[in-house]
Amino acid sequence: MDKRLMPLLPLVEKPARYTNQELNAQHKDWSETAVKVALAFPDIYDVGMGHLGFKILYALINARKDSLAERVYAPWIDLKALLEERDIPLTSLESGADLLQFDLVGFTLQHELSYSNIIAMLDLAGIPRRSKDRRETDPLIMAGGPCAFNVEPLADFLDFVVLGEGEEVIHEILSAVAKKKLGPRARDVLLEQIAQIKGVYVPQFYQPLYTEQGDFAALRALHPSAPARIEKRVVADFEHLPYPEEFVVPYVEVIHDRVMAEIMRGCTRGCRFCQAGMIYRPVRERSPQILKEQIARLADSTGYEEISLSSLSSGDYGQILPLIRDLMADYQGCGVSVSLPSLRLDSFSVELAEEIQKGRKTGLTFAPEAGTQRLRDVINKNVSEQDLKDAVQGAFQAGWSRIKLYFMIGLPTETREDLDGIVDLAHQVLRWGREFGTGQRRPEVTISVASFVPKPHTPFQWMAMDSMEVLRSKQSYLKDRLRHPGIHFSYPKVEESFLEAVFARGDRRLGNVAERAVDLGCQFDSWSSCFRFDLWMQAFEQAGIEPAAYANWEPGFFQPLPWDHLSPGLQADFLRREWDLAHKEVPTPDCRWENCSNCGVCPGLKVTNSLVEGTDLA
Amino acid sequence: MRNVLRFQFSKGPEVRFLSHLDVVRTMERALRRAHLPIAYSEGFSPRPIMSYGYALPVGILSEAEYGDFVFARKIDPDEFVVRYNQHLPQGFRVLRAERVADRTPALMRAINAASWSVLLRGQGTEEISKRLEWLQGVDSFVVKRETNKGSREIDVRPLLYAVVGVQTVDTGTVIQCYSGLGNEANLRMNELGELLGFDHLSAVITRTGQFKKVGDHYYSPLGNRG
Repeated sequence: MDKRLMPLLPLVEKPARYTNQELNAQHKDWSETAVKVALAFPDIYDVGMGHLGFKILYALINARKDSLAERVYAPWIDLKALLEERDIPLTSLESGADLLQFDLVGFTLQHELSYSNIIAMLDLAGIPRRSKDRRETDPLIMAGGPCAFNVEPLADFLDFVVLGEGEEVIHEILSAVAKKKLGPRARDVLLEQIAQIKGVYVPQFYQPLYTEQGDFAALRALHPSAPARIEKRVVADFEHLPYPEEFVVPYVEVIHDRVMAEIMRGCTRGCRFCQAGMIYRPVRERSPQILKEQIARLADSTGYEEISLSSLSSGDYGQILPLIRDLMADYQGCGVSVSLPSLRLDSFSVELAEEIQKGRKTGLTFAPEAGTQRLRDVINKNVSEQDLKDAVQGAFQAGWSRIKLYFMIGLPTETREDLDGIVDLAHQVLRWGREFGTGQRRPEVTISVASFVPKPHTPFQWMAMDSMEVLRSKQSYLKDRLRHPGIHFSYPKVEESFLEAVFARGDRRLGNVAERAVDLGCQFDSWSSCFRFDLWMQAFEQAGIEPAAYANWEPGFFQPLPWDHLSPGLQADFLRREWDLAHKEVPTPDCRWENCSNCGVCPGLKVTNSLVEGTDLA
Repeated sequence: MRNVLRFQFSKGPEVRFLSHLDVVRTMERALRRAHLPIAYSEGFSPRPIMSYGYALPVGILSEAEYGDFVFARKIDPDEFVVRYNQHLPQGFRVLRAERVADRTPALMRAINAASWSVLLRGQGTEEISKRLEWLQGVDSFVVKRETNKGSREIDVRPLLYAVVGVQTVDTGTVIQCYSGLGNEANLRMNELGELLGFDHLSAVITRTGQFKKVGDHYYSPLGNRG
């Protein structure tokens, strides 16, 4: 920790966020390490410490002789104000070094509403915002994570961006940086080398072109070492990837504060609204044997009271039930519980939930996503009425009394009937609760309804998001009909989803807007208490950009898209085919169990789905 | 009969900003890493059976925090100290442990007073000595105390039991004093600061002991070596 923070800490909320000295934190010798990397999370410690990707990178980088990694989080607004007032720069947790002293500063792009914090963190660190203004000695600013697949709105602020899985490419990057030669143009030469690493995008080597009407037209490569299309990285052997043997154990309460085992990567369910299901293909399971070893090491080095089996859809892991049973047998005696972060809507999930929640039946959450079977077929959420009925009735019979259901509004082809479907379902769940509940507690259902944001690299990328007006009227339609004892209705602000859509579907011109928003004081946009839509609108106005032209834009099928060059490996016509099937209300089966859907990822990236032996072909 | 160990531990500068709940979580995780056989409560969500004395305010150091652990089987106190210390993070240290009888009163009931050492950096003794002289003739000192239920006026003078030393050290002046602690008669750090005339946020305050005060006698919750 930076000593200059000491006198400020008694003045701020939760000061232990900033003090470091946690168990398993790595303090490597700066004088004997060539490459210094700051892993920068654009939110507070309490959020960032739950991020598995950074735990993996932290371990990988610190395991190298020539490199070290330290952590940096956004200071909460109270400390941020004090730092600005006293001109104290942003520093890393471990050694308290200024970010300017690092060779690489890597941001993770988890969601669009974190972008203002990235710019604010660069400001706090005294690093010039734009790549073109950075000096020879400034660190290289890199980024990765899901939003890298349309990083254009941040392109001017980032020196390079990594698409896809980081475990292999990080070594190639570190080796390039370690071999950096001093001399004039050293920074440019290094960037040229990095641009040649597969999966790496160097935005400053490209220039976007626009039509006279102001539409995005093309991206012109300005440099011989800049490939026309950047394909994402996928690790060759997920099963045997190195996995952290220790996690830093925080003192303060943070999210996902537990042993995390990555049981599976990727998802091929093929839900058409889901970007993760498109960009993280193929699906790969890790064997129970290896998982148990990894969990044992982590449980031992952390002392955590909870083990979480992480993936995009953990109930789909072939050996999930035996794995859970084995873990429960091994750990229950020492006060350690097992949890699953994501459950599907089927009776099997209830069985799983029963297994891990023995006795204590708190809430159970499912995501039907849409109110009618028709619309679920459109979005390829392969959950039938029967699944729903079985799951919810099963849950009530097993003793749960609170059910939470996630839905979206603004999905393609949605009609009044689909909204009514949500309402009917809410009431139906209550009736099932009264019929099948065990009677100890009154049944309750929470209906959470998000506004759908059509994301790049999904079959719905060609549709416009519903206007804010339409979304608000849908919200109030539902609100009126869900006013009923036992039903709770919650929905995120339309404005937040709108801003998310603008940046998700944005191009490079939005960099100006983000910059102005930061200047106007926007920060921590994903925190409702901090979100200032009025300031954002002011920023759009100042930059002369109409936000609706992004969120409510309906690109033509043959129109170039600002993210076309950032490839998750999907074949050009796959998304289009899925769009057509959606509008014909035809589901596409999961390719891990049924026919290949010809998305192009496996042949294109020379990978395959890989499931552990003994998986039931259900 | 249950196997209960009562122990005293210190909280150093590395962990001074941890809240009481942070400390409890840290203690639990260290127990698990050390594979010490703590007993768990019955029921659907078993919890380790442990209890502590009064929460140390955030930012304060301590040489005398206390905890009671209930173990599933008999465990030697000295072995506990050695093994637990190997697994506690930097900044925590168990100083001693004793087996206590099952019916021993809970820590909260065995404690009603604390001793403090306050380091005022870069300050001489003159100012504080004057203040103490003045304080001797004062038998009431009313301050506003903020609580969850709003603020109320309270006389804190009787809660400062004794100032037993004022010393010059390399870095400044150290005051040593005794005060009330707990539910009945509790002196807060900002109130101590107001009484003695220092800024409690910039002073380095250490809790040096916790006691049961009976008349003018102070008894330690661990043996009678206080």
